[in-house]
Amino acid sequence: MRPLTLRRLLWICGTLSLVLLAVVVAALKLGAVPISVSDLVLSLGRVAIGRSDQLPSEYRLIVFELRLPRILLGILVGAALSVSGAGFQALLRNPLADPYVLGVSSGAALGAILSLIASPHLPLLTPVAAFAGAALTIAAVYFLGRRKGQLDGGTLLLAGIITASFLSAVIMFLMTTLSSRDYRGMAFWQMGDLSTPLAEGLRWVFVLVLIVAGGAIYTTAADLNLLLTGEREAMHLGVHVTRVKLVVYLAASILTGMAVSVSGAIGYVGLLAPHLMRMLFGSDYRLLIPTSALGGAIIVVLADTLARTIVAPTELPVGAMTAMVGAPVFIYLLRRGLQ
Amino acid sequence: MSTGGPATTAPSALHSEGEDARRGPGDVRLTVEQASYAYSSGERQAPLFTLQATSFQARQREVVAILGPNASGKSTLLGLISGAIKPLSGRVQLDGFETSRLEPRTRAQRIAVVQQESPLLFPSRAWEYVLQGRHPYGRTLRFETPEDAAIAENALALVGASELRDRWMDKISGGEKQRVILARALAQQPLLLLLDEPTLHLDIGAQVELLQRLRRLAEENRYTAIVVTHELNLAAEFADQVVLLHHGKCLRVGPPAAVYSRELLEQIFEAPLEVETGPGGRPRVSIRGERNETAG
Amino acid sequence: MTLLAAGQARAQGAASRRDPGTDLPATPKLEVTDEAGRRVNVPQPVRRIVSLAPSLTETVYALGAQERLVGVTDYCDYPPEAQMKPKVGGTINPNLEQVVALRPDLVLATRALNRRETVEALEHLGIAAYATDPRSVEGVLVSTARLAEVIGAGERGEALAANLRARLAELKRLLSGRPARRVLFVVWSDPLVSIGRGTFLADALRWAGAESVVDSSQDWPRLALEEVVHLQPEYLVFASSHSEEVERDFEALRERPGWRSLEAVRQRRMAVISDAVNRPSPRLVDAIEQLARQLHPDAFETKPENRSPGVGTRGGTGPDEEFESDEREEACACAR
Repeated sequence: MRPLTLRRLLWICGTLSLVLLAVVVAALKLGAVPISVSDLVLSLGRVAIGRSDQLPSEYRLIVFELRLPRILLGILVGAALSVSGAGFQALLRNPLADPYVLGVSSGAALGAILSLIASPHLPLLTPVAAFAGAALTIAAVYFLGRRKGQLDGGTLLLAGIITASFLSAVIMFLMTTLSSRDYRGMAFWQMGDLSTPLAEGLRWVFVLVLIVAGGAIYTTAADLNLLLTGEREAMHLGVHVTRVKLVVYLAASILTGMAVSVSGAIGYVGLLAPHLMRMLFGSDYRLLIPTSALGGAIIVVLADTLARTIVAPTELPVGAMTAMVGAPVFIYLLRRGLQ
Repeated sequence: MSTGGPATTAPSALHSEGEDARRGPGDVRLTVEQASYAYSSGERQAPLFTLQATSFQARQREVVAILGPNASGKSTLLGLISGAIKPLSGRVQLDGFETSRLEPRTRAQRIAVVQQESPLLFPSRAWEYVLQGRHPYGRTLRFETPEDAAIAENALALVGASELRDRWMDKISGGEKQRVILARALAQQPLLLLLDEPTLHLDIGAQVELLQRLRRLAEENRYTAIVVTHELNLAAEFADQVVLLHHGKCLRVGPPAAVYSRELLEQIFEAPLEVETGPGGRPRVSIRGERNETAG
Repeated sequence: MTLLAAGQARAQGAASRRDPGTDLPATPKLEVTDEAGRRVNVPQPVRRIVSLAPSLTETVYALGAQERLVGVTDYCDYPPEAQMKPKVGGTINPNLEQVVALRPDLVLATRALNRRETVEALEHLGIAAYATDPRSVEGVLVSTARLAEVIGAGERGEALAANLRARLAELKRLLSGRPARRVLFVVWSDPLVSIGRGTFLADALRWAGAESVVDSSQDWPRLALEEVVHLQPEYLVFASSHSEEVERDFEALRERPGWRSLEAVRQRRMAVISDAVNRPSPRLVDAIEQLARQLHPDAFETKPENRSPGVGTRGGTGPDEEFESDEREEACACAR
């Protein structure tokens, strides 16, 4: 018997952080404009000792003003999507739950677009509207996914996929009827894009929300372990089921809404990261939530680096990369679940 | 005692109390007092199912069987006892506290429920599963202490499942799984053990084994155990008291010998039955076949 | 830790914001308001230009500033030598790293093709980005002259605008009193996409003595074929650099239900003009002239020296099939 200890948790998270760091350094180096490792190390060293003014200006711009903000955005978005994916999986008791598959991302995108149409000059309204869209969508999918009062796995996924398709059609309608120029376009909302860095003010809001909402989900981690064995059982084991579900529902919707409002709908991250981490470290949510956050960050940064470099200088949407890996994994998990 | 005609009024709670009082030691732990419940699909709709006022008491070390055919209200009664649902009228008290009003954590420290097993979403090992029983004793995010591990280990030993400790839950037999689930309930260190059809998917050997174990555990650890079942003979063999339900109505409460009458059981289970008294003084029910009829 | 580093870099970036091309902190700047209403500080002189749209690349060539053009998009194919310039990716998603690496003094963008986010990101990086937004033929002329001013080719720009204006005036004189042809401008045939009333293309049609049968507030409306059958345009107008391909496609359309019930299709009334008409650059006027010749051939017959409609002639008002900006402009200047 080997119960989870704080030591083991920190050890694993530390290792994953090192992997993330390595991925970040690789992402800083790779790109359309070649930068040698020695130059990169030199630049990083100069910044570390506070002498970035000695950098050649284009290195400074490319590495610190273009690549780094984009990588940081990728880390935040990846962590947010993965934690909310893991949350939805416990909330809906469905291992295939993912904000993108369930249409929650599309709902958030629709909310964001509506807010952009209504008042384009309120930057904080967009994530709030995206959260509202996400929350409404997951509520709708939850009720559509019930059969005879019971949440049914297959029906739920079907409800999510249909909802996603419906919402995409509404987004398409809005994009076509309104002059789409200022609303970032269909590709952004459907496939995701990290090329626009976060506005300065929004960056800290995002970090704060990630910590608060992710932390809220994390406080329920032990309860989620039990929730996965069934609501009744969880209740008999001392879980305040309604409270836990409400916390996870709100926090996961907030995380999805926030991620989608700044990067569009990057798909399957919420599926890939938690499952990978489950395979590596088991399904204890106390370990799964922090490892998924780190894993999601690694996956998104990696995917975005590929998207930037694979056909440089042309860029691919990052969502295309995650979907190319995520969709087959989804099918694999679905088939395995059916057996 | 067994002459009560079919569909007579339910015996009063006093009757069973009297029976129990004669049976000897142990404090009254659980009191179900005129508890009733009704399900309806909407607030204004007529109830789809009603459990009429039910009363009985259970003491330490006692094993009580809630008996009845399908849809007789067994699970509803169990729900009321566990505090998962609140009675429409009446009370369910455990050591003087109403079970439905307890905080979930406190309730889980006093009442453990073994349900019909639900499929696991993600595989876990037996020891992880048993350790879940320590959840009501932890604070938010608390990591299990060595003491928790020891309690879980002990719980596995109590059900004779120590060797299953590192096995995956989805790779062991139904009987083994049932024992691990029981171990998780024991790890909760409850006063009251509730078991919902624990023998449902077990073969006869495993059924007897489980109930014998339960009997012994109740005796040694002063648990009060309440078992929902429709296995007439198992209930007769292992229960101190039987609560007989039919169509949402509590028909009889008392020791098996007092409750098991041929006419009553035949009417409730809608089958030709024979009730004999076994060697231990406990009743035994068998099917009265056509051949027997003509022969007798 | 990484977050802190970013914050630091950002703060210093803002403190020492200077143009990346030169290391002298005190470069003289020209403050202009671009056509998106943004204030832009353009370092002077502009030595290195990156263009983010084919029309802008053409305009830079027409202004004779091609030596200073250091980066173009994947779609900048005219004049052909523009394709030899370093590429920065597409128009919607240009690679900002590549742009930065080219150390431009000025990046040119256009509202119709580029995204606001791109321009904002450049601004954030301290790179001057000037956006154009021509919405009419006159707008193209004004925009060209303004752009010339910004990149320090003012005189050249004025001459170019004056020449284009003179050609348009001549066209107007020739076409005066003639009823406008009712045309359908086919941007795309399957699905059918045409132009809205707010586009510079609609305006270009008017200059060529035509009028779009489609009156839509959307810029690129998708049309139902039955609506076109109902509207019965006199001519179909196609824009392509390969007229033989259009002929072939047109023959195919004659077989298709819906299309074949169009009077214009049955009687082969169609006009093919250079795809330059799609680009709000000086070459637009060539396309307008070309279209006018095809729609109103009789108007040009009064001029004995210009008898062959649709075929380019040199000097003055004739449309050019092959565009050689310098040569042609000098010719124009002489004529003036």
